[in-house]
Amino acid sequence: MEAVEVEEITRVFEPRRRSGTRVVALEEVSLTVPTGEIHGLLGPNGAGKTTLVKILSTVLLPTSGKARVLGHDVVDETEAVRPLIGIVFGGERGLYWRLTGRQNLEYWGALYKLSSRGAKARAQQLLERVGMVDKADERVEEYSRGMKQRLHLARGLMGDGKVLFLDEPTTGMDPLAAREFRSLIGELRDEGRTILLATHDMVEAEMVCDRVTLIDRGKVIATESPRTLGQVLSRFQRIDVEGVPPAVLDEIRAMRGVMSVTAVDGAGTRIEVDEEGATQLVLERLVDAGATSVRTSLPSLEEVYVQLIGERGMEI
Amino acid sequence: MRGLLAGFRLELHVVRANPDSLIPLVTAPLFAIIFLAIVRQGGRSDLEPDALMAPVLMSLWWIALVQAGSMITADRWQAVLEPLIAAPTSLASVLVGRIAFLMCVGLLSFFEVWLAGWLIFGVSIPFEHPLELALTLAATALAMAGAAVAFAALFVMTRNAYTFINSASFPFYVLGGVLVPVAYLPDWIEPVSSVLFLSWSADLLRATLKEPAVDDFWGRLGMVLVLGAITFVLGRAILFYVLHRMRAKGELATA
Ligand SMILES: Nc1ncnc2c1ncn2[C@@H]1O[C@H](COP(=O)(O)OP(=O)(O)O)[C@@H](O)[C@H]1O
Ligand SMILES: [Mg+2]
Repeated sequence: MEAVEVEEITRVFEPRRRSGTRVVALEEVSLTVPTGEIHGLLGPNGAGKTTLVKILSTVLLPTSGKARVLGHDVVDETEAVRPLIGIVFGGERGLYWRLTGRQNLEYWGALYKLSSRGAKARAQQLLERVGMVDKADERVEEYSRGMKQRLHLARGLMGDGKVLFLDEPTTGMDPLAAREFRSLIGELRDEGRTILLATHDMVEAEMVCDRVTLIDRGKVIATESPRTLGQVLSRFQRIDVEGVPPAVLDEIRAMRGVMSVTAVDGAGTRIEVDEEGATQLVLERLVDAGATSVRTSLPSLEEVYVQLIGERGMEI
Repeated sequence: MRGLLAGFRLELHVVRANPDSLIPLVTAPLFAIIFLAIVRQGGRSDLEPDALMAPVLMSLWWIALVQAGSMITADRWQAVLEPLIAAPTSLASVLVGRIAFLMCVGLLSFFEVWLAGWLIFGVSIPFEHPLELALTLAATALAMAGAAVAFAALFVMTRNAYTFINSASFPFYVLGGVLVPVAYLPDWIEPVSSVLFLSWSADLLRATLKEPAVDDFWGRLGMVLVLGAITFVLGRAILFYVLHRMRAKGELATA
């Protein structure tokens, strides 16, 4: 059985005020996540990731379309869906700040129908897992942001959900915590869980996912393997330089793999490369020409999208 | 059942963490002193029990309205409402558990006014019909819990919490005959009052503290319970409606 099936889900937000605008957050989105997969939902801000995650977790109704979790409809069979899912809605949500970490977890354990003893044991186990045992009996309001996030994650796991929805779980985490978190995702999969991970971070999606669905402005653009994504990432590079004579720039413009050379404000120039290996050649030429302050960076997700969409001849 | 218990324990922790939410327990003895002073000044010692019971009912009603009433709204602001809805336990049962704890706390005001009356004026609660009194208090707390579910649901829908609290507190103390028996009020109020469990509670509570045998006790207690149950069923229906509407509009979260 598929863990998650989404069939042509559309979600429209009607304006709250007369002056507001109508937002089509999802437009006929379809995707399938087989059991045991870590599936990425990758898209820039406003793409509709959270909206989809909320619909799948039964807290938001779709405008049209169907979605099922382990075979159960998320609108008509919420009672069957809810015990099967765990949700981590990013940041520090879902916690009572005046209560201690442990009290919070035990409360959620009871809501997931654990016995009092079962909830205590599971809370302790998860506190250990997220490294929060020391602080477990302090009030959440005393926690740092990172600690709240870890507790929030433990909260999402209290129910022992078979399908986990993680919405930008590493936003705002320091790199070390984010790395630990990613290895935790792997462990969760090894326990047989299915994970849908919404993120705007290409590198994260590439690192942890088995497959990645790219979405933008409410539409699915493609479902890719992380390898394809990795290739895209290593192919596209952006180089910002200053102090390069115009003649050299013309020369670079003509080089193989160079997509564009544009002046950016002041003396700077941005060179965009879309072929593996080309970056190296461009950099060498720049250094020869005595360029100052050479910086390379990854393109933004939006830019990668533009490329992918361009190649596929798709329209937005 | 587990939801009820979870709610009960949660509220215990919440109240322990913010004791200032128990203002009604501070005001109840003060109101008792004021009301006792008034009836004694008027030479109506026969009304002393009435003066003592009014603050108890006011405390229970205030806790149901304000503390319990704001629960869902507070959960929404704390971003707890969404995960709560996504959990397999029904929100209604958690809510009832939380309210039940608050009602137990509210009943403490009974002992407070007893103590305050005795310490300040040497007036004790006349336990003429103790069993009937205990049952009336219990039935009243249950009915209040039913009303609190309705309050919590209505609270989420109202834009202005103050307007809601003001219009649902003192007017109901009057309509419910909490301060003054409905029989002393203009006749047109009576039909309105008679559908409020509060007026039945208030009358019955006063009757259990007076010497003559309580007239039709079981029938009147039944009215408190039935009207309370109707309030609860209505409240639950409003709650389901409100939650469904929030899921449809995407309003379970604040941002
Ligand atoms: N509750 C809501 N009410 C109105 N508009 C919303 C609501 N939630 C999301 N939107 C809009 O829907 C679009 C998609 O948002 P979202 O799903 O949060 O995107 P993402 O999670 O990918 O950043 C955005 O334009 C956002 O403003
Ligand atoms: Mg989002």
